[in-house]
Amino acid sequence: MSGSIQVRGLSRTFHTTVRRPGFAGALKSLVKPERVAKEAVCDVTFEVAPGELLALLGPNGAGKSTTIKMLTGILTPTSGEARVAGVVPYRERERNARNIGAVFGQRTQLWWDLPVRESFAILRDIYGVPEREHRVRLGEFDELLALSSFWDTRVRHLSLGQRVRCDLAAALLHDPPVVFLDEPTIGMDVVVKEQVRGFLKHQVEERGRTVLLTTHDMTEVERLAERVVLINHGRLVLDGTLDEIRRRFGSTWQVRATLADPQAAIAPPPGIALLRREGPQVVFGPDGPGAPTVHQALKQVVERYEVTDLAIDEADLEDVMRAAYVQAEAA
Amino acid sequence: MTDGLDMPRRPNTTDRLGTSLKSLRIVWRITRLNFRAQLEYRSEFLLMIAIGAIWQVSVIVFATVLLTRFTGMGGWASQDVLLIAATRMLAHGLFVLFLGRVHGLARHIQEGVIDTYLVRPMPVHRQLQLSVFPTNAIGDLTVATGLMVGALTRSQLDWNAARISYLVVCVLGGMLLEAALFTAVACASLRFPAADYWGRWLEELLGTFGSYPLNVLPRAVGGFLTFGLPLAFVAYFPAAVLTGHGGDSGVPYWLAAASPLVGLLAYLGARLLWRWSLGHYSGVNG
Repeated sequence: MSGSIQVRGLSRTFHTTVRRPGFAGALKSLVKPERVAKEAVCDVTFEVAPGELLALLGPNGAGKSTTIKMLTGILTPTSGEARVAGVVPYRERERNARNIGAVFGQRTQLWWDLPVRESFAILRDIYGVPEREHRVRLGEFDELLALSSFWDTRVRHLSLGQRVRCDLAAALLHDPPVVFLDEPTIGMDVVVKEQVRGFLKHQVEERGRTVLLTTHDMTEVERLAERVVLINHGRLVLDGTLDEIRRRFGSTWQVRATLADPQAAIAPPPGIALLRREGPQVVFGPDGPGAPTVHQALKQVVERYEVTDLAIDEADLEDVMRAAYVQAEAA
Repeated sequence: MTDGLDMPRRPNTTDRLGTSLKSLRIVWRITRLNFRAQLEYRSEFLLMIAIGAIWQVSVIVFATVLLTRFTGMGGWASQDVLLIAATRMLAHGLFVLFLGRVHGLARHIQEGVIDTYLVRPMPVHRQLQLSVFPTNAIGDLTVATGLMVGALTRSQLDWNAARISYLVVCVLGGMLLEAALFTAVACASLRFPAADYWGRWLEELLGTFGSYPLNVLPRAVGGFLTFGLPLAFVAYFPAAVLTGHGGDSGVPYWLAAASPLVGLLAYLGARLLWRWSLGHYSGVNG
């Protein structure tokens, strides 16, 4: 079965009541409520190819979780269409559920009072996984996530890291071609995060699963995703590879040059702006869309001025995404 | 958008039977595991049973006062009134045991647990019922069984097979009717989690008025508890039919006698409403 995700013009509108300020406003809302439509997701279109890991990014409240909920069959879209492994998730919820695995980082799908292994056994029965296959898969997950040291513990006694690792295994026990991960590593320590990232990489590269991931952790994006979809206010802002995004939003470098002559007149080259001057140190940054790369800028600064010291501050992916969010907000 | 469009084969009777048996096995397995999990916390387990029994203290007090101080109520002999209380209690205990997790659904919604049920290939209603073993039902059912034994041993009626069968069907109908009422509240909770408070009010109402012959209440209240909130069909009408009060119960005899069917129909209606409500579920936090 093909594990692709296809989304065409997907929209979801929620209707809420406007909260008016103050006691009088609250009373007025009670007597004559003003209903407004809020577009949580608006006309979003993208595709994820089989075996691809796509990071769905955006600031809080951008519509990432609502998108995932529509693709997992939890919510029905107001308009548009989606297919996950060939199934329309909100029309055939149970059939879709057999094709997907889902992890919502802040809640568990395991039975709270049962030891993890018994939850796994229940899921095996629900999905109808043959016993031998179940044992083999559990062994593989144990190797990658070190589950056996705590899988006889009740879920309610697990730490967050242990619980999410178990949730990941639970989501993949039935060998789904498509996996949805909504902030899977939120609140985890770095060691467990790294273990989870390794596991996900293995699932994509070795097992060919299609993964749609939402996260605020840019290290995770850098390690796992080749392609990123950025949404803001429910609208798709950008769909491209990490390199494309860096090219478009990543020119937030700064070049700090200490001049041999602190009194030298500064007339920056085209595309480079003088950001500030602190005694002998001058700070240059990109100026407009035609700005050079940091390395070109460095060359031009050295050629134009006599400098005694140089330093570069280049934006990491977090800065790049911050710039992207800011630009999306302004647009 | 055409990849993987392998349409499933329409299941035949054998397939359906196989699926039902498999579902039953899973339900049994999860129930067994949930029960075992509760047993492992000994104090919690015993406390839950105790709370189930203590919750029904008003019914126990009512039954004691009824049997020791009064000869009857509203034209009903005290042992016949006891049959109303026992039928309601037993129906309630079975509701708590088999279908009671619809009560308090708002917590599952607020915590997003419903979302995790929706991504599993199993009906959400069934997953909800299997979310935990209702240990308090053991307390409810212990009290209910005691009351029923007391009511039957004091009863002057001839408990032949037909009457016993009708009583059993009425208890099941009462269970379904109570489940229908709480399912309707749960449907409202899916849209407005605050509707859960109505469930508490409903529980209070069932406990307070469910054990009385409704003819002792003002006509308007009796009418409301018959046609507004059909509590009368849980135990009052069945007991009236069994004890010979069916003709003066305030509704046509056939309607009182059809109480189990009313329960079944109400439950089927509530499940259709549940299905519709789940299709319109909009979650919390978007």
